[in-house]
Amino acid sequence: MAKGTLAKRGPATLLLVAFLFMSAAAFVALKVRTDKFVRRKLPGSSIIYIPSGKFLKYATFGYRALAADAVYLWAIQYYSTLTIDDRFDHLDHIFAIINELDPRFQDPYEVGALIAVQEAHDVRAAFAILDRGAANNPDQWVYPFNAGHIAMMTLKDFPLAEKYFEQCMNIPGAPDFVARLRANAIFKKGDLKTSWDTWLDIYNKAPDERTKKIASNHLYNVKATIDAAALEDAVAKYRQRFGRPPADLGALVGAGLFRELPKDLDGRDYVYDPATGKVKTVISPWKR
Amino acid sequence: MKIGAIAGITFKEAKRDRILYLLFFFAALGIVASRVLAILTVGDRIKIIKDVGLASISVFGVLMAILIGTGLVYKEIDKKTIFTLLSKPLHRAEFILGKFLGLVLTLFVMTLGMSLIFLAIVYAHTLKVEGALFVAVGYIFLELVLITAVAILFSSFSTPILSSLFALAFYLIGHLSWGLELILKKMAPGPGKSLVRALYMVLPDLENFNFKTEVVHGLPIPPGIYLSSFLYGVCYTAFILGLAVLVFRRRDFI
Repeated sequence: MAKGTLAKRGPATLLLVAFLFMSAAAFVALKVRTDKFVRRKLPGSSIIYIPSGKFLKYATFGYRALAADAVYLWAIQYYSTLTIDDRFDHLDHIFAIINELDPRFQDPYEVGALIAVQEAHDVRAAFAILDRGAANNPDQWVYPFNAGHIAMMTLKDFPLAEKYFEQCMNIPGAPDFVARLRANAIFKKGDLKTSWDTWLDIYNKAPDERTKKIASNHLYNVKATIDAAALEDAVAKYRQRFGRPPADLGALVGAGLFRELPKDLDGRDYVYDPATGKVKTVISPWKR
Repeated sequence: MKIGAIAGITFKEAKRDRILYLLFFFAALGIVASRVLAILTVGDRIKIIKDVGLASISVFGVLMAILIGTGLVYKEIDKKTIFTLLSKPLHRAEFILGKFLGLVLTLFVMTLGMSLIFLAIVYAHTLKVEGALFVAVGYIFLELVLITAVAILFSSFSTPILSSLFALAFYLIGHLSWGLELILKKMAPGPGKSLVRALYMVLPDLENFNFKTEVVHGLPIPPGIYLSSFLYGVCYTAFILGLAVLVFRRRDFI
């Protein structure tokens, strides 16, 4: 009886297994065929309806950090898909979601700002991301440091750079060179008096010879810039008075524009070019 | 004929299930609530109505397929009515197919009901019947048919709770498996990539039935994909049903 049943079941089972293989082969072939169709999508349509992290965090049922990881992983793939032309339109929004879900997750602040500056050329978005990083992680000096670097190198906004570097300096653990970057930002924004005082302070407090030398070179540069400006101003006055440029800087003393000529920090005379009216140092401040 | 009889009984049994009406009520509530959500938006209200409406049909349809489908075969075994049925000249394959078709018929009626409410709401706003919405609803129904087959497969060897979890996992995998394509593009050639490719081919791709975005935004859909997606759904369903029959044939109820 049992044997009969088995014999009866055998071909049917084989038939069923064959059917399974055929249907599997069919759906795999159809899958390949269906994948070949290019389906149009709205650019950025996958993200424009993502709610703010403030609301999203309540929907994660306590898995906020995991949700932040998932959105971050997705964001990395999304922003490296070059075919999405307007992928940067909601950059700050996306990274704000990650930051809101997990404010102590450090990588998204740095990577988001990097994408904003290097790929999206959107420095405002970079500042927004880094400001959030600094607000959520007041113990991390890297965010105001990065913001200062962007302000200095990309935006050329030296007062903003000074503000960020100052913020960075006040965070415990910030490297010493940040103070020098701030002093340089002050110099570049044109506040030569404060720049001199700042570099002098760095020189006096320098913990090693290397730092002392760097500060000394900058002090040399600041003094040279102040002196060159005064000399060039006097050259312009001389030209106005006599209708011709002075033959040499000594003529400025003769004309009563200077009591004595200033010298560079090393006691050397400045070099004057009568053709252009420009004054410069004998050597580069960085090769002293 | 026997399949038809089983399907008819399954349909009658399913329509007595209160959970069906509860889910239908919430689906209808979701569709109607889309009007309220539309009021809160600035801009294209009809887009919100279409999005929420289609999502309600899809989500509650899947819940119906899973919650009813996973109990269908199990109940017969648990209540021992399976002995009466199988003592008749009835093949186990006919039993499975009958159960499947009965639930598909139930889901068809429910989807039709939800779609009518949805289309009525859309009509009240646009004063026109949009044919493209039928496409989206049609493929949602095709997805429900596949989920029904999956629910019956798990129901044929597992408890309703586990079957529901498995079927839900199948649904989630089906909507996330496209991510494997992304991983494949970034993987170096090797056994790992071959394994991921095999997985990508075998795992269900329920995005093939998802035309909601295109329909709502009026984007062009390549004509060939309709037939291809339809056949994909039919073949995958056939495969799952074949598997269900194979498992059920080997089950010993004593």
